[in-house]
Amino acid sequence: MKERIGVYICHCGGNISDYVDVEEVQQLMKEEDGVVVAKHVMFACADSNQKEMISDIQDQHLDAIVVASCSPKLHTHTFRGVAERAGLNKYNYIQANIREQCSWPHSDKPLDATHKAVGLIRAAIKKAALSEALESIEIEAKDACLVIGAGVAGMKAAIELARIGTQVYLIEKEAHVGGKMLENGTLFMTGEDGKDLAARLLSEVKANPKITLFTETEIEKVTGSVGNFSVDVRVRMAGTNTETMKLMAGSVLVTSGYQHYQPKENEFGYGMSDRVITLPELKKRMEENNGVLLHNGKPVKSLGFIYCVGSRQSKGEHKYCSRTCCSSAIHTALLLKEKNKDLNMVHLYRDIRTYGKQEILYEKSSKQGDIYMKYEEKEPPVVDVSNDNISVSVKDYLTSKKEIEFKPDLLVLVTGMVARDDSKDIASQFKIPVGGDKFFNEIHPKLKPVETVINGVFIGGSCQGPKNISESVQSSLSAVSKISALIKDGLIQLEPIIARVNADACTWCGKCAEVCEYDALKEITFNGKQIAEVNPATCKGCGICTPVCPQDALEVKMYTNEEIESMIDGFMAEVVIPEKAVGEGTEEISPVKMKEYPQLWKQIVSSIGTEHKTIPEIAQSIGADKDLVTWHLMTMNKYNVVMADGMDEKEQYYYYKLKI
Amino acid sequence: MAVINFEFSKKIKKYGAKDFDACFNCGTCTAICDLSDADNSFPRKMIRYTTLGIQDEIKTSLDPWLCYYCGDCSQSCPRQADPGNLMMSLRRWLTSKYDWTGLSGLLYRHMWAYIIGFLFIALAIVGAFMSDVFTQSVWLHYGHLFEMLAIASVFVVILFPNIIRMWYFSVWKPTKKFKIKPYFVAISDLLVHMFTQKRSLDCQKEHTDTLWYVEHLLLVFSYLSLLVITVFLDWFSTESALVNVFGYVVSGVIFIVTADFVRRRIHKTSEKSKFSHPSDWFFVIWLFMMGLSAFAVRLFIDLDLLENNFWLYLFHLTVLVQWALIIVPFGKWTHFLYRSFAMYFARILNMPATEKGKK
Repeated sequence: MKERIGVYICHCGGNISDYVDVEEVQQLMKEEDGVVVAKHVMFACADSNQKEMISDIQDQHLDAIVVASCSPKLHTHTFRGVAERAGLNKYNYIQANIREQCSWPHSDKPLDATHKAVGLIRAAIKKAALSEALESIEIEAKDACLVIGAGVAGMKAAIELARIGTQVYLIEKEAHVGGKMLENGTLFMTGEDGKDLAARLLSEVKANPKITLFTETEIEKVTGSVGNFSVDVRVRMAGTNTETMKLMAGSVLVTSGYQHYQPKENEFGYGMSDRVITLPELKKRMEENNGVLLHNGKPVKSLGFIYCVGSRQSKGEHKYCSRTCCSSAIHTALLLKEKNKDLNMVHLYRDIRTYGKQEILYEKSSKQGDIYMKYEEKEPPVVDVSNDNISVSVKDYLTSKKEIEFKPDLLVLVTGMVARDDSKDIASQFKIPVGGDKFFNEIHPKLKPVETVINGVFIGGSCQGPKNISESVQSSLSAVSKISALIKDGLIQLEPIIARVNADACTWCGKCAEVCEYDALKEITFNGKQIAEVNPATCKGCGICTPVCPQDALEVKMYTNEEIESMIDGFMAEVVIPEKAVGEGTEEISPVKMKEYPQLWKQIVSSIGTEHKTIPEIAQSIGADKDLVTWHLMTMNKYNVVMADGMDEKEQYYYYKLKI
Repeated sequence: MAVINFEFSKKIKKYGAKDFDACFNCGTCTAICDLSDADNSFPRKMIRYTTLGIQDEIKTSLDPWLCYYCGDCSQSCPRQADPGNLMMSLRRWLTSKYDWTGLSGLLYRHMWAYIIGFLFIALAIVGAFMSDVFTQSVWLHYGHLFEMLAIASVFVVILFPNIIRMWYFSVWKPTKKFKIKPYFVAISDLLVHMFTQKRSLDCQKEHTDTLWYVEHLLLVFSYLSLLVITVFLDWFSTESALVNVFGYVVSGVIFIVTADFVRRRIHKTSEKSKFSHPSDWFFVIWLFMMGLSAFAVRLFIDLDLLENNFWLYLFHLTVLVQWALIIVPFGKWTHFLYRSFAMYFARILNMPATEKGKK
């Protein structure tokens, strides 16, 4: 029980104090049990206040602190840092959110907002009083990585991981490495051959003693967790014999790739005639005759491409754009033209997405005389297969939707990328979440693009979604940097807010293990009886186990029943605001004014008037602090009240004018 | 249902088309064109039909003739696909389609056909002169009579049927309707456009090439005047000082203006003179030679030098005959007719629409 608590109530430069009577709240908080220091400050997050908090903690021997300000999303780390610098355990700091949860939504009722703020802060004080000092969980990590899939992304990642000294186990399901890259002849930009590139990577992999490559190998069983994954793999030995091996790795990188969309029977005539083929099949045919395209031994004179087959299906399974197919098809068309001078090509597309430098391909292809016709999903081309001939008719949106017909010797379906059928096995073995498109999901597409919600398991390349070779390598290399940041230290630090088992109460019924999505609960024998044990490396502290426990033997640290109940008591306790203070409060801040914007905004608006002014000029003219003006002006800018209007002569400050 | 014809885009390149393949159908050309409107939207549509090889749509369209090649479209094309040049090439192709003899197409596609034709005519004239069948005065007197006859028969045998064919393709085929009244109402358009090229002034409204317009207008009138003066007023043997001076003036204007046109084509001063097809060169150069030689012949007569320099007259006559038998019926001269008739037909075609609009 903490008995020397410090409470800091933030004005947030008016965001809170314009609606909540922070001075009165501070007076009331002083009286709370265990509170030694209670202060109201203009900006709790300001450096000056942080220093003051540190000296309070040290001088007054505080054992817990409460900051009542904005959402914990913004400043948890700031105040945890303050606690640590002052020598206090960072979990003895509790945040009360009196801005997003109080002053902003209740700006029309300042008195009620003040009441609610008192309740919120009291609840936080109660929680602080019960708060425990927690230590981060440290796990030893093995400096080894299991890379699943030896395509271009996997091989490149393996080579780079090995280069920084990590032991790599590279496993591949097929007998050969290189994946889908092997299907490509000349690659765009560099002009290299896909097979050569794969061979080059393979020789690098083989030459590196830190990499062990297992081909014709599949994953059998996964146990362990971040830092210490234990993966049983089944390796095919001579003949049909297989042998199971156990690989230990601190981290796992999944680069299992994609598979081509397989057109359905009679989708654009597929399967009805050998003249209808997919793009990968076309590439194969080109390879057979050294680039010369033949059909039944005769040179092909005209070729049609239908784009977006198996992609962008607004009603189908594959709603996404496969990104690579436009460029791949057009690049193939250019390669074809080199060897087949008389070949006429017609591209039936929905939108050409040769983004970035790939635009060059599109320009070249149209300049070489390829015909492009645009169709819409609702009016797809109709392929008529009769005898040995095919006829394609399409409503060309570029020719005022005129019905245009042609009879190509070969029709190529430009198929998209779909998730591999076997990716669901990997997903269930590692518990990687998959999206609606069946590709693996990252945590955050922008900020955590290669991390999965499973600690220590990363994704790279096109198992995550359609990517070309460059993008696949980019993503697997960014996973490499995340992996080495995680395991290179040898120690992994984890948040200690996890579930805890009361060994006396637990009788091991297994219900908790059933609901746990992270496999964090296991049965163990303890003091002669069976109880549950929490694996600190995998537990996420989600709390799903606590309500299902019939013995009430589980709790999540920092969110124990005792803490929650005391917070409720604190929140529900009666709030008595002295008569005088109520009078003053309502007089100063009338609800009508507050509905619009704070007084200072009005002053700023009238100060700017029809001219434009810099922040120092405004501060001077209304006699307010420069920082305060800055803060308000930024908010006004955000809400489109003012806008920047160029810089002053010294290029020191922006001018601001009113936005009308 | 239209069928793609891969060969057409290759064929049209022989008529001078170049980079239209690069078009990605953005429509900037049509948007920027001062002459394109809802009834006749071009050039994007024409590029599209060319790319796909839908010849019927082009053959029945008057749009290529409604373009005066100001070059705005080519300048603003984000792909440098040169729509203006394609429209020009389509006009050549249309000319060959209208021509029932098929000679236009042959001449447009192959420069050697032109050269053979020119040589043949030159040799025939020189041969006839050498044979001494006619005296100098007969040559002088009947030379222009022959020209008149040639032009008249070219009109009757070739150009008139071609205009009918043009009408058949562009008016009858798409509408299958014939009402006589609009043909009378629109006749003023025919005459105005034939003699003034008024519509070209709408191109590039802000920076109209007025000098070009004036030069072209002068050229048209001088050319027609020279025709009248030599054929009907017998300039080379006239006694009238007025006719004589007028003859000098118009023939002078012809060779000065055409000299400037040649200069424009050499220096590629504007979009319209950037790409010169052989037929363009022959047209301006023969006009230049015609004006210059006519001027010189009359000068030699006035100075009494012609009798001893009769080769000059023969040169003049050769140019005239080559002009009348090759360039007028099958070459670029035809744009004088087709362009104005296109305007006339377009007016007729759009007439019900305009009347509806007025109500």
